[in-house]
Amino acid sequence: MQAATMSIEQLTVAMDGRQILRAVDLRILDREKVALSGPSGCGKSTLLRCLLGFVPIYSGTIRIGGELLTPTTVWRLRGRMAYVPQEPELGEGTVREVLERPFSFVGNRPLWGNLQRIPQLLEQLLLPEALLTERVTDLSGGEKQRIALLAALLLDRRILLLDEASSALDQVAKQAVIDLLSATAELTVLSVSHDQEWLGVADRIVNLAELQGRMS
Amino acid sequence: MNTIDISFWRLGSGYLLLLIPLAIMLWLRVPMVGQTMLAAVRMTVQLLFVGFYLQVIFALNSLWATGAWLLVMVIVADLSIVRGCNLRLRRLAGGVFLALLIGVLVPLLFFVLLVLDGPAALDAQYLIPIGGMILGNCLRADIIGIRTFYEALRKQEKAYLLSLAQGATLREALFPYLQEAWQASLAPTIATMSTIGLVALPGMMTGVILGGGNPMTAIKYQIAIVIAIFVGTALTVILAIRLTVLNSFSAWGTLDRELFLNEARKRS
Repeated sequence: MQAATMSIEQLTVAMDGRQILRAVDLRILDREKVALSGPSGCGKSTLLRCLLGFVPIYSGTIRIGGELLTPTTVWRLRGRMAYVPQEPELGEGTVREVLERPFSFVGNRPLWGNLQRIPQLLEQLLLPEALLTERVTDLSGGEKQRIALLAALLLDRRILLLDEASSALDQVAKQAVIDLLSATAELTVLSVSHDQEWLGVADRIVNLAELQGRMS
Repeated sequence: MNTIDISFWRLGSGYLLLLIPLAIMLWLRVPMVGQTMLAAVRMTVQLLFVGFYLQVIFALNSLWATGAWLLVMVIVADLSIVRGCNLRLRRLAGGVFLALLIGVLVPLLFFVLLVLDGPAALDAQYLIPIGGMILGNCLRADIIGIRTFYEALRKQEKAYLLSLAQGATLREALFPYLQEAWQASLAPTIATMSTIGLVALPGMMTGVILGGGNPMTAIKYQIAIVIAIFVGTALTVILAIRLTVLNSFSAWGTLDRELFLNEARKRS
């Protein structure tokens, strides 16, 4: 059996006295493209945030590349994943500054050369190069989503976590994103989406509502 | 040159001036009359108490008694800062206390040992007013700094978490918020420093002149105290933020929402 890139076992999450996730079991293989579906509020975004250590786990375990996610390992394991949040908030400054900022972090400094890929990725995501000098706060929702995706791709992580990453995109832009991600075979992608086209290109669709409490 | 003493009767007549703002409040129907009267009473009681206490401390002129009084001042400032920030006292009070202690002692000792010089420099007469001036300004700057830091983090939590997701360490992810808070807290001190003497005659200078010192001595004191205040505020704000961070984030790097009093109340 192929080793799982991400392995979630009996994951239960509760917030403010309400159970968000109940005994979730999920294994995602290397290079697999998995889409999480299910009704709103079933915990899809929470699951992605759990993988990054942003949500306290009530019980269960998460392993990334075989390594158990703990408060000690999370700082290193985040370096194996890239995340595009729903309605990304990119902070302050110009688009170029936002794209360069992660490379000022000690762990990413060796990847500084990746910034040379910006023009090519902008083109693939149908964004003009002039956007680099715009302030991120002036961007439209769709532009912000694509810049957040671009920032994630520049980091060269093997695992990509996408939370409704195409929700603000028009048809053409959405297709450009799908084409770009489909072409990067080495990526393991776990995405949350309600979008039929997005779900259509996934290797596997996991309905999280149905999964709660059952083995995948 | 002697300072003219003010008799208690004459001081009492000074309170009559308060009738002007109180009348404006009534005319504007601004509900601040009670608050103002209470503040005036508190000010009077507090200052009278301090006045009597300082007379004793100055008479004793013991380094231990002076140190103890400075410590009380730091504790009161510490509690005021945490309350002023609307944050959970237990989480922050320790860090802010340590920050204030270091932030006040470093410029104070520098001032009295290097700038003033002489054996009398360690007298209560110098240590308490100079320490108090530094502390008072640290208090204001700390409230601005700590508030700006945690409010900015709360408002931009998604951007902060994105930095963590992008591989930032806690220190790296917090850096922009620290920068913003430090800048915001020092801006008033820098503005005061650049207009000092033009817009208002500063407190210490006035004090030295009223105490019978010549204006040149007063100015030298004023320059030294402004530098000490600036150093004190710069130090306490950065230390207070860095030290309170230790109790305000989970081991996973997420901001503990229980830190904010209003959110904790909402949940309970």
